[in-house]
Amino acid sequence: MHMKFLIIVLQIGILYIFSFIGKAIQNLFHLMIPGSIIALILLFVCLCLKIIPVKFIEQGAGFLLSILTLFFIPATVGIMNYSSLLSVQGAMLFIVILLSTVITIAIAGRASQFFEKKAKNRKDEQECNKHYSQSG
Amino acid sequence: MQQALFPIWMILLTVLAFFAMTRLYNRFSYSFFIPVLTATVLIVIILVVLDIPYKSYMIGGHWINSLLEPAVVALAYPLYKQRHFLMTHLFPILGGVLIGAITGMMSVSILAKIFGMSHPLVLSIIPKSITTPVAIEVARGLGGNASIAVISVMIAGIFGVMAAPMIFKFAQVHSPIGRGIGLGSASHAIGTSKAAEYGELAFSMSSVTMTLCAIIGSFLGPFVVWLFQI
Repeated sequence: MHMKFLIIVLQIGILYIFSFIGKAIQNLFHLMIPGSIIALILLFVCLCLKIIPVKFIEQGAGFLLSILTLFFIPATVGIMNYSSLLSVQGAMLFIVILLSTVITIAIAGRASQFFEKKAKNRKDEQECNKHYSQSG
Repeated sequence: MQQALFPIWMILLTVLAFFAMTRLYNRFSYSFFIPVLTATVLIVIILVVLDIPYKSYMIGGHWINSLLEPAVVALAYPLYKQRHFLMTHLFPILGGVLIGAITGMMSVSILAKIFGMSHPLVLSIIPKSITTPVAIEVARGLGGNASIAVISVMIAGIFGVMAAPMIFKFAQVHSPIGRGIGLGSASHAIGTSKAAEYGELAFSMSSVTMTLCAIIGSFLGPFVVWLFQI
């Protein structure tokens, strides 16, 4: 029990180190991309190249992601300073987001379906060619 | 003494509100009861009643908030686990994700301009299709407000999921891949749990899409702001 707790804390420490490196890169190159996203990409690459074994982070990452919602509650509570949103402005915000979301679901869905068919056709064609060259 | 204990009380309040509301949600699983919203409402009511300003609350709250960054980094783990899945469907996923991310940010910026929304408000809602922890970071990076960003992410999630079945019918999106990517790129984690209703493939699609959209979105955000001169 204590051991597991210690492992989780240490692994979160590794994730912290990554986010620190990400931030350093962001500041060094004056990037607009958040440091944590740079760190995410960095960690993904390190995992794929086996520079960092997945064992080193899986428990810590799994734990953080299982209670992810908790971490954005403090930011959300900040809405109490924006009572002006309970007005025309808030209604406008709602309509704009709703419209944009509907458009996004429709277009992304249609586009992906289209790409899926394309990919499938290409695969079928390749299979066909393989067959042809084998028999020829 | 009391001063030293105050931040701890605020941390305790947040953690207790979160776990209580998560239990409530697990019991009723009604989409408006998602813990972020219910826990936030509960905390805001308590703060208002006790006359505690947000700034004081954040003396404790920022400790919880600081876990947001390693949590974003942790998203690399599920993405890594799904790398083979990603490679087998690389073409439709990358194409769909790119179009989804671009459509999400462009359409919200154009609509906000048409509606004449104020400058800081637009900056806060640009990342509305991105998963919450990343949306907070992107909104802050753009100079927007994190709280408004979270609220817009919630609206995109809850109402996107409610409208999705109708959209799929009218736009004739029938394949699990199309539905998964549509939901993941517009409605992030909430969309992903809805995608599970369309099967395993749609669910995996949606969850990979959600992470990739967050990465692409954080690159795209500054570009969209520059493009529309927001």
